[in-house]
Amino acid sequence: MSNKLIDIVNITKTFDENVVLDQLDLYIRENEFLTLLGPSGCGKTTLLRILGGFETPDSGDIIFDGKNINKLPPNRRQLNTVFQKYALFSHMSIAENIAFGLKIKGKSKGYIQDKIHYALRLVNLEGYEDRTPDSLSGGQQQRIAIARAIVNEPKVLLLDEPLGALDLKLRQDMQYELIRLKNELGITFVYVTHDQEEALTMSDTIVVMNQGYIQQIGTPEDIYNEPQNAFVADFIGDSNILPATMVEDKVVKMLGSIWQCVDVGFGRNKPVDAVIRPEDIDLVKPEEGIIEGVVTHLIFKGVHYEMEVLANNYELLVHSTDMFPVGTEVGIKVDPFDIQIMKKPESEDAEAVGIEE
Amino acid sequence: MKSRKLLSGPYLFWAASFIIIPLLMIVYYGLTDKEGGFTLLNLAQITTPENLKALGLALLLSFISTLICLVLAYPLAMILSEKNVNQTSFIVLIFILPMWMNFLLRTLAWQNLLEKNGIINSILGFLHLPAQTLINTPYAIVLGMVYNFLPFMVLPIYNVLVKIDKDVIYAARDLGANNLQTFSKIILPLSIPGIISGITMVFVPSLTTFVISDLLGGSKILLIGNVIEQEFKQGSNWHVGSGLSLVLMIFIIASMALIAKYDKNGEGTAF
Amino acid sequence: MIKNAAKRFYLILIFILLYSPIVTLMVLSFNSSKTRSKWGGFTGKWYVALFQNQDIMNALYTTLIIALVSALIATIIGTAAAIGIQAMKPKFRTFLMGVTNIPMLNADIVTGISLMLLFIAFHFSLGFKTILLAHITFNIPYVILSVMPKLKQTSKHTYEAALDLGASPVYAFFKVVFPDIMPGVFSGFLLAFTMSLDDFVITHFTKGPGVDTLSTKIYSEVRKGIKPEMYALSTIMFVTVLLLLFLVNITPDKKEASGGKRLKIHRKHRVSRVVFRKVLPTAMVIVIIAGGFFYGSQNRDGGSNQVIVYNWGEYLDPDAITMFEEETGIDVVYEEYETNEIMYPKIQSGAIAYDAVCPSDYMVQRMIENDLLAEIDFDNVPNIKYIDSTYMNQSRQFDPENKYSVPYLFGTVGILYNKTMVDEPIDSWSVLWDEKYKDSILMQDSVRDAFGVTLKYLGYSLNSTDLDELEAAKKLLIEQKPLVQAYVVDQVRDKMIGNEAAIGVIYSGEALYTQVENPDLEYVIPKEGSNLWIDSWVIPKNAKHKENAEKFINFICRPEIAKMNFDYITYSIPNSEGRKLIEDDWMRNSKIAFPDPEDLKNCETFQFLGDENDAIYNQLWREVKSK
Repeated sequence: MSNKLIDIVNITKTFDENVVLDQLDLYIRENEFLTLLGPSGCGKTTLLRILGGFETPDSGDIIFDGKNINKLPPNRRQLNTVFQKYALFSHMSIAENIAFGLKIKGKSKGYIQDKIHYALRLVNLEGYEDRTPDSLSGGQQQRIAIARAIVNEPKVLLLDEPLGALDLKLRQDMQYELIRLKNELGITFVYVTHDQEEALTMSDTIVVMNQGYIQQIGTPEDIYNEPQNAFVADFIGDSNILPATMVEDKVVKMLGSIWQCVDVGFGRNKPVDAVIRPEDIDLVKPEEGIIEGVVTHLIFKGVHYEMEVLANNYELLVHSTDMFPVGTEVGIKVDPFDIQIMKKPESEDAEAVGIEE
Repeated sequence: MKSRKLLSGPYLFWAASFIIIPLLMIVYYGLTDKEGGFTLLNLAQITTPENLKALGLALLLSFISTLICLVLAYPLAMILSEKNVNQTSFIVLIFILPMWMNFLLRTLAWQNLLEKNGIINSILGFLHLPAQTLINTPYAIVLGMVYNFLPFMVLPIYNVLVKIDKDVIYAARDLGANNLQTFSKIILPLSIPGIISGITMVFVPSLTTFVISDLLGGSKILLIGNVIEQEFKQGSNWHVGSGLSLVLMIFIIASMALIAKYDKNGEGTAF
Repeated sequence: MIKNAAKRFYLILIFILLYSPIVTLMVLSFNSSKTRSKWGGFTGKWYVALFQNQDIMNALYTTLIIALVSALIATIIGTAAAIGIQAMKPKFRTFLMGVTNIPMLNADIVTGISLMLLFIAFHFSLGFKTILLAHITFNIPYVILSVMPKLKQTSKHTYEAALDLGASPVYAFFKVVFPDIMPGVFSGFLLAFTMSLDDFVITHFTKGPGVDTLSTKIYSEVRKGIKPEMYALSTIMFVTVLLLLFLVNITPDKKEASGGKRLKIHRKHRVSRVVFRKVLPTAMVIVIIAGGFFYGSQNRDGGSNQVIVYNWGEYLDPDAITMFEEETGIDVVYEEYETNEIMYPKIQSGAIAYDAVCPSDYMVQRMIENDLLAEIDFDNVPNIKYIDSTYMNQSRQFDPENKYSVPYLFGTVGILYNKTMVDEPIDSWSVLWDEKYKDSILMQDSVRDAFGVTLKYLGYSLNSTDLDELEAAKKLLIEQKPLVQAYVVDQVRDKMIGNEAAIGVIYSGEALYTQVENPDLEYVIPKEGSNLWIDSWVIPKNAKHKENAEKFINFICRPEIAKMNFDYITYSIPNSEGRKLIEDDWMRNSKIAFPDPEDLKNCETFQFLGDENDAIYNQLWREVKSK
């Protein structure tokens, strides 16, 4: 991909002795759709607000296009923000809202008119110029908020959980809308969300965060298929995380049995965590599996059946297109490639710090 | 639902008995003479030069006080709304706590401060500055009004300001507005309900006060409130007093209309 | 950084503006001098005196009980009303909220007057009950406006869910809705309580005799100087509330980061919440009610066997009242007024039935002419014999047959001046128009005194009804206005003692007292002549306890009591036996207290000039005041 646009160097931010971001490093490329993903309180919004200029970091630097912008106030940054609750100006019409930034920059009337039309067409809300924000639905307000930001032609658009307040159907529509917009505008999007599905759908790069630390950076596929620790595995999609022992390279002991896997370099007889996605567990006849279990729950989910299988005192979550009624004795098999081994964290803090150590 | 509505029954009765009927009594007294015949003469009393002057002076002083209150209160409300102070403790500090020192005593204490040999002049004397005549002047009355009614201006403005979504302000900054532009284009227009509410809450009591002009004006300065008070308590002409009160109510109704227009959702209430 | 410093500086400035009078009052409460304008050294004696001053403690009790009861009732009615209003159709709701806003936005004076008119029209006798009704009226809107927003936040569904789960509507309300709106109810109550506590104007118009809240008590004291005990009381109240608030805020719900800590704080906070939500209010109620019984048992007995006395401010030794009550078992309800003109309409309207009133000469005449007075049965007032015949004869000017009035005190009107502030010997009213004394002159704030002085200066009679003469006097008074520091009544005394002014028009009785306090002061009856006045006891026709009033007047005429009164107020007594009892030679022989007939040769007594002429005087006076 293209060059670095923003370099975040060693950023630390605390609120009342509460460390929100701890020596964080990250870079954002030009034209990238980068998502900051994590549970609430993980520091993702703070990071976005530091980029927007609404918070100053305690230490560290923000380098934008080669220049340090730490001290630059928000109104002089080439970034624009779309706020979570839209933050439209309720005392202005839609057109006035969109024109706000342009008027401040002293653009000509004609230019502003053109831009309003262009932006409203872009977000599919032509003809709404004279309405007031109150008279619009949540989804429409969200589009206006985006239109208001993009008319200023920022190099980067910062989006703070912009779809959080919308209902499911609208949220899915808006996801495609955002991808389309990003492609049409050709600018960088930095997107904050706690919704893994949104992240996986839209992003070029996902940054998983927890408790002020970055847990993993990667493409959606990397993040989903190869979570680097239990937090990421647990946070992204459903997964079975099992305590296990690495007997030797490519051999792991879990659920009371020995399994083949592909991971190496964890040492001998070391306690580890093993991650298995529910759709990667194959249910077979009892004698064909590596271990045996009993189906305890069964729910039809449309695309597949969701089952819980009790094996060796562990409840395993299984997704399968085959149906096994409750009480069926089954054998359990997992392809070695689908067992992901992770180092066991020694404490909660160590877990948060994750891969850096 | 029906039974819940019935809960307001006692209040409806109360409001009719002690709000509506008394006002009608004023209207009745204001429009009749001593023999009970209809007359407009009581209302016309406002046009006598003395009463007109008292009204004019009251309008002028309350206008000035309201203006000063606004100028003082707005920055105060802004600072406090930025500060994330606990709202209750702020109201208590600025509004409730001083009230436990009686209003008359508090106003009277200004006599001590403003007198010829008072505290302010003593300080001026200490600094070798010439003593000022402060007490018994219109300035003293304005000071008294500002002092007593300032909280009524601060509270509604503050209440509107804290309700402004911080993100709206960030959005304005984000879109390129500097501090001044953010203030004039976003914060000020959004706080108009509070300003209007504050203006009426300061203007009406200032316009109609008789105590402050009494205590700090040395009875030299007659405001319309003093005239009405004297009609009731001294001059014994309740009809004229009621007539003048009716004239005052025109200003009060006007301010209520102003609130109704600019503060439809009751955002700017003081409490 | 600079910006923050500026903000802090601004906050401090506002804080100084709001709190400097309060600090001033606190300092005054430790001032050993009785007058406000002089620092006499540090003392705590007023705090001791406070608890012995039954008047103030009574006023405090009345204030607190009215605040508490009116806030409670307003909270109940207002909360119920808010719930009801919330359930109404928007149109009606808007209308009702408009009505609710009336007492908040309406001028206090208009609200007060309107309620007074209502009470009088429906023959509610003005008193404790009317104050209470008025306070409830202006308190309800504060409660409604505090509760409404909380109600709006409360989801209707929780209430419905409770009903769905089998709760009765009442149970559902108290278990589900009420806890949600509780903070609003509580702050509404607090606001109502405070508003009631601080109200003056509405109480001023709706109160009756014998009932005083702190506000009205203070207002009646303003003219003659606030009693320092009042400062002490205010300081105690303020500091108490300050401490309470400090205690409440010492356990704030700080949002701490770590979970364990949060739990602990939560528990601590809970304890303090119990204390401040339950224990403190309960304690307050107990204290107030107990205090009520305490003072009630001391004071409020014998309701019907009483005498309602309406007298000038600071015009009778309170000990004399106590002695009278102990001797006769008659309860004295004591009310004060500042000028004849304030007193008269109250008697005339009959809103309050006073039993004994003490008007001045011309006002006695006016009341006789308007048939407001009852003949006194002198069989019940044998002590009339101690009154010097000179003054009985003087009284005939306004009470030709000595049927309606008993002389109480007399005196002259003259000039009090500060010897250190004037250059020349003063013997003429002309000094009141001397540019040299601009802003150092105190004029009397009453029609007849102001015009009397001016008419005398012009060489006319102070009972003149000649329009040209009056017009000339008016012009002169207007001319004088820029020179006048203030128009006051009893405040002349304190201001002269405190060296606030050089020259003041004053009653002789006050002059004597001021000389004791400030030896630089001198009193003179100007050579042009002045007013010789006599204040006399009369009994209004509508008195309900006429015999008690006669007993009271007879008691006052007793020589020992007359002498006691002279010692207390230093006004001249017409009681010849009483004068002989005065121990202090200087006082007994003082020319100010007991002037020679020589000094009085140009002096006149005020006469009632008829309603029409009175109206002319009033009109002219208003023209002076509004210039």
